[in-house]
Amino acid sequence: MAVESQRVEDFRLSKEPYYLPLGNEVELFEAAYNARLPVMLKGPTGCGKTRFVEHMSWRLKRTLVTVACHEDLTSSDLVGKYTLQGDETIWQDGPLTTAVKSGGIAYLDEVVEARKDTTVVIHPLTDDRRVLPLEKKGEIVQAPDEFQLVISYNPGYQSVLKDLKHSTKQRFVAIEFDYPPADLEETIVVSESGVDTDTASKLVTIGRKVRNLRTHGLEEGVSTRLLVYAGQLIQAGVEPVEACEATICKPITDDLEMQRSIVEIIATQF
Amino acid sequence: MTFGPTVGNVGIYVAREMLASVPEAQRQAYLRMVEGISELKYQLGVEVARQLPRLLAERDDALVERYLREVTDVATVGWKSGVEVAKQLPDLYGAPDTTLAGAYVDIVTRATSGVGDEADTTGLAGELDGLERELRNIEPKVKRANELRTQLAARDRRDEKRRKHAVELAAALPPILARLRPRFRSAYLDLVRQVAAVDPEASLEAADTLLDLLNSERVSVEGAGQWVARGLVILERNREVGRGYFRMGSKYALDVLEELKDGLALKDVARILKLFATALAGRDVAIRSAGEAAGSDTYGAAHIVLPTEMSVFDSDANNFSAYKVATAHGAGRIEFGTYGFSLDDIPGTVGDLRRRYPQETR
Repeated sequence: MAVESQRVEDFRLSKEPYYLPLGNEVELFEAAYNARLPVMLKGPTGCGKTRFVEHMSWRLKRTLVTVACHEDLTSSDLVGKYTLQGDETIWQDGPLTTAVKSGGIAYLDEVVEARKDTTVVIHPLTDDRRVLPLEKKGEIVQAPDEFQLVISYNPGYQSVLKDLKHSTKQRFVAIEFDYPPADLEETIVVSESGVDTDTASKLVTIGRKVRNLRTHGLEEGVSTRLLVYAGQLIQAGVEPVEACEATICKPITDDLEMQRSIVEIIATQF
Repeated sequence: MTFGPTVGNVGIYVAREMLASVPEAQRQAYLRMVEGISELKYQLGVEVARQLPRLLAERDDALVERYLREVTDVATVGWKSGVEVAKQLPDLYGAPDTTLAGAYVDIVTRATSGVGDEADTTGLAGELDGLERELRNIEPKVKRANELRTQLAARDRRDEKRRKHAVELAAALPPILARLRPRFRSAYLDLVRQVAAVDPEASLEAADTLLDLLNSERVSVEGAGQWVARGLVILERNREVGRGYFRMGSKYALDVLEELKDGLALKDVARILKLFATALAGRDVAIRSAGEAAGSDTYGAAHIVLPTEMSVFDSDANNFSAYKVATAHGAGRIEFGTYGFSLDDIPGTVGDLRRRYPQETR
């Protein structure tokens, strides 16, 4: 994470990311931002959480530092550490420190994947103190008013063992996401992939039918992102059935009978 | 060294120096004598070959002849005594008392053969010969008796095993019959009976397999009959392979079944159709086979009844499509609530219609 090698300004979005609001999430996020409250985005994979943060970052004109959390992520990776450079030992800010110092938005994606000690590091940033202690450096960084901490997680597929601690959960304003209603999802697929409305409508119908299988062996339904991928492949000239099999059917299950039933659902549309 | 055609193996007993000590003219005769006596026992030949040159040197043919006869006589009753006599006798011939040699031979002969036992010995030997002949005659019968004993023991074991499997079959059949659909019971029992008549162990396997085949309707009753008939051929040829067939543990058994089945079995595609219907209808839909749901509605609020086997087309792919069409049809009815209607709803519906269309219903 050589954050210092990049300028903070590199994290500023210059172009508006496409985002179609599904409810009052934009207003809610802005209100939380103005009140300097951290935000938690909950929702299934591929429903638009990350895109929403990007959109809000652009809308609020703040830099966006995204950290994809994983089980080997340590608090040092997040906050910063001393590294050797030639004969010197220099301190290198982690992405969270960079975001705090620059007054940007720090977005910890899939935070539940990170180690428990890592999530505790963010606690002082999420209450009225709004500080980030750099223990190794013996320094406390005060977050400017513009700083915003956002985390996301998917409560659907994560196990009980990986659930967020209540002491962490109860520090955030939660905005819940789900797959968009059919008409809005159709608009999103048209806008993101460039397919015509008829094709988008078929893709959305397939997506909605396949999502009906969520409690019958599918861990997660087809995400809007996968529908967009299917549209992009179709737009690139791939046969619709093949495009759907490659993006909707095969990525979401290895169960051959489930795959076969999804193929049959695709066949009802194309 | 070559001694000519009469010499044979006598060279083994005659050392070169012994032969050299015999006058040239007597050598062939010497060798013949040694060879003759050696036929009784080779140790005898060795000793005679050693002593004969002395006697031949005296050129007394009668003495040589006596020597050979007396040695032979003694050796006939005991070869070890013969060897000793062959060694001592030439010295005794030279004794002043000419009767001494004869007496010596007589004593040794009697001592060797024993006094008064000869008749007994001959009798015993004769009896022994007779018994041995009888034993030789009886040996094939003993061998055959052993074979029969082994065969009967094997049959006993087989019978024991058969009885054990018959008991197991007796215990297994009632619960199987309880699980078997009543309409298959008669045919099922007939098929199991055919297998049990050949091999009770195989019939145990067949009882389980036929239960599955008939209940799931993977084959018709006629198909099951053909499947059993093909299995019986295998069973007659090899019990173990036949049992594997009826256990459905051989590729051949599966191939025969595939060959006999009429179309695509619902059992093989039921889960795919269930998922398909559930996805279309947006609620949990069960797939039930016509046999399982006999007497109930083809379509219900949460289930679709399909034939246990689809054999409208030749190919499985087309038969699957036929299943799919029927499933989609049922799923559509479930999704849009065709069967959600109840007569109890009518009063409420009439009231709603009156409120909504007051002019038309006045």
